[in-house]
Amino acid sequence: MESRLWLRALYARMWVRVMSVFNEPLWIAVNIGFPFFSSVGLGLLYASTGLRSFVGFAILGGIMISFWGNVLWSMASQFYWDKQVGLFEIYLTSPAPMTAILIGMSLGGVVNTAPSAVLVAVAGWLFFAPPLSPSWLAVVLTLALTLASLYAMGMMLSSLYLAYGREAESINEALHEPVSLISGVYFPSIGNFSPFPFSVQVFASLIPLTIGMDALRRALFFSQGLSSIYLHLIVLSIMGGALLLLSSKTMKLLEEKGRREGTISVRLR
Amino acid sequence: MSSVKTVLASIRIGWYRDFGWTNPLTGFLMKTIAPVASVLSASIVYWLGSSAAGSFDPSHVSYIIVGAALYTHVAGYSWVPSQAISEGKWSYVFPQVFISPKSSTPFLVGRCLASFVTSALTSLISLAFAYYVAAAIFKSSIPFIVTPLSMSLLLGALLANVPATLGLGILLAAYTIFASKFEWALPTYVAGLLMVFSEALFPVSVLPWPLSAFGNVLPFTQFIRAAREAVVYGSVSAYSYYVGYSLLGGLLFLGVSLWAYRWAERQGRKKGIIDRKVV
Amino acid sequence: MLSHEPEVRVEVQNLRREFDSKERKVVALNGVSLKVREGEIFGVLGPNGAGKTTLIRILSTLLLPTSGVARVMGFDVASEPEKVRAVINMASGAERAGYDYISARGNLWFFSQLYGLPSEVAKARIKALSQLLGLDDYLDRKFYMLSTGYRQRVTIARAFINDPKIVFLDEPTIGLDVMTAMSIREFLIKEARENGRTIFLATHNMAEVDAICNRVAIIDRGRILTSDTPTNLKRSLGAPALVMEVSPLPVNLAFLGAVEGVKGFTTSVDEERGLARVQVVVESEECVRRALAGVAASGMRLVSSWRQQTTLEEVFVSLVGRGFVEREHEVGE
Repeated sequence: MESRLWLRALYARMWVRVMSVFNEPLWIAVNIGFPFFSSVGLGLLYASTGLRSFVGFAILGGIMISFWGNVLWSMASQFYWDKQVGLFEIYLTSPAPMTAILIGMSLGGVVNTAPSAVLVAVAGWLFFAPPLSPSWLAVVLTLALTLASLYAMGMMLSSLYLAYGREAESINEALHEPVSLISGVYFPSIGNFSPFPFSVQVFASLIPLTIGMDALRRALFFSQGLSSIYLHLIVLSIMGGALLLLSSKTMKLLEEKGRREGTISVRLR
Repeated sequence: MSSVKTVLASIRIGWYRDFGWTNPLTGFLMKTIAPVASVLSASIVYWLGSSAAGSFDPSHVSYIIVGAALYTHVAGYSWVPSQAISEGKWSYVFPQVFISPKSSTPFLVGRCLASFVTSALTSLISLAFAYYVAAAIFKSSIPFIVTPLSMSLLLGALLANVPATLGLGILLAAYTIFASKFEWALPTYVAGLLMVFSEALFPVSVLPWPLSAFGNVLPFTQFIRAAREAVVYGSVSAYSYYVGYSLLGGLLFLGVSLWAYRWAERQGRKKGIIDRKVV
Repeated sequence: MLSHEPEVRVEVQNLRREFDSKERKVVALNGVSLKVREGEIFGVLGPNGAGKTTLIRILSTLLLPTSGVARVMGFDVASEPEKVRAVINMASGAERAGYDYISARGNLWFFSQLYGLPSEVAKARIKALSQLLGLDDYLDRKFYMLSTGYRQRVTIARAFINDPKIVFLDEPTIGLDVMTAMSIREFLIKEARENGRTIFLATHNMAEVDAICNRVAIIDRGRILTSDTPTNLKRSLGAPALVMEVSPLPVNLAFLGAVEGVKGFTTSVDEERGLARVQVVVESEECVRRALAGVAASGMRLVSSWRQQTTLEEVFVSLVGRGFVEREHEVGE
């Protein structure tokens, strides 16, 4: 019974996410704006340096920035919006496990963002035809694990954002670019080619996107297979699992705190 | 006179909206982080590409730092009038402003100018910060002219660009009167278009015709060129040409935008959408 | 109708809730005790700020009490929230929560899944509830395209989607037109009578309580002042209320409080006619004469006066000394 409730809540939350986009295809156009232009802009910048072989970094960055934007705006701050319109208290007063709702949100987010990401990939390939040297199995596995750990981070952030009020929007605006910078969405931020000092690289490695981007670039452009990037995959798996557990614990703690202090269902306008 | 009062009141509201949720210092730092990161990202992309290709030129890093800082500056405040309308429709502030005598345009101008001040300051900080960080991580001397004259010229370029950005803001506001959904996605499009077409990161000549021609006539492109002349290349005559173009082009654009906004207001009243909330 | 002794579904004992604000400690609930049974529509009536919403938030597991015990279906709301959540639902008139780009039907199905309902069961319930609430023709419209009234009908349908034993409703008809409010009230009566559901209604709408509640508790400043059926409460006042229209404005009626036999009064101003309408709760006929004489002696002009059947507002006035509006004004200060 408990597991059935868990699965139904998960599926329903995913369904709402997916159907919102399916019912309103304009969402895809909305999602594609920044990733598309930034990958074109930075792709042209790579091309202007005379090194066309790196243009693919910009396209891959555009694809992954779509997911990072989704994690930030539709995962991390989702409960903040839900709190404002009264949806969050409906979740809380129902018997549905919050982790199931969060995983449903994540899966829906991946499915929703996929069309924009694919469009960026297709447009980038058509404009720039970047040279690829892929190890497809490694690419697929890395992408799956990167998304899993990235969305687990989103779940964790969404729990933390419960503690925030109006500042959630400003925090999102402030986080988007710096995380893209240090996690190396458009260039390697860890390893030999990183422009950052070692201490910054260590800090950057705590973000799943950093490990995922590094592994994806290796697998997609430098034909490195599973044997070369297995450490990345192990780290991503550990990060994903740990963040999932941590988000569940944090959610419980913050729910209790909210019930104690009376802030759990305070709407902000 | 009443319009000036509305503009001033609206500037105060704008600052309160941006910083009211925290103390001014925290609010300002939060607003500065994103442009700094954006400027550094673009600089690193150039550094990585050109180092690998063996074509690294420190003066081109200055070119990118200035371009990236200033396109994010324009993007950062041009969409504020549109935001003021969509938020105002939610809170019912906009219909109230609309029905007060001659207040809608000064209200939008005030909100935009409030953000101009914030955005100009964050851009200048981004410029300075990116310059030092880039010099440190690229281990190169990045050319940058820092004299009272160059700083005055940079300030002049920022001010000369206000009409153009205001024009863009008012034009987006005209669109938002009709928008029933997703108007909040506008800034990402504005930022993206400016990144590609305003010579922020690379010369517009890289783009195929007619896109390159489009980029060339934009007052924002001339503004960024003027700013580069002020702090990177140091040619006052080239600066004067670009800044004049930016100002005159901006005024022309602003005129067209104001006309478009008036038209949108009339259409909005006809269609009964002035107080329709965006989803 | 129930064929057995109705069970106790909500039991609250000596409940207290404090909130810490920067300036002071605010006591929202102060020693509240009550029992609500199966099939009852139980109203909690009080002015804004009386503690009604706090009580509902505690009972629906959104807020912990500072002290005291609250049980729902025998489960402690503080220590067994999961068990409570399985048997309750709630809705507030202050929000019409739903996903904008999903149809009303899709929204209701989604909410049903949060309770683990099999899809066929959920669909059948959506159909039944939408018929009862007059939603049939609007089920396939996207949520953002619905009017305020229909959104609220969806909200009410949502609150009953899981076949809950107890439904907590906080001002469910606030801001709605008369017809929509009436149809929602009819629906609530039916649900309680025919399905034995317990409906716990917090409101400051006296007419609503009078129309649908089996019992009502009057609450003010976190304390329950009295609790009984609306009829018994009104009957307890004895004499019908005295209503006077006096002018000119502004009126000073402080002397009324000192008139022997006056239990309290409430005033509303009719600016258009330039007069104040005063409802006075009186103990006896003798007291009416004294109140009228007092007005004449004060120099004010008595435009008209009459007697009227007591309402729940007069019950509140007799307990507190002032009406809802004056009380809200005092709390605001």
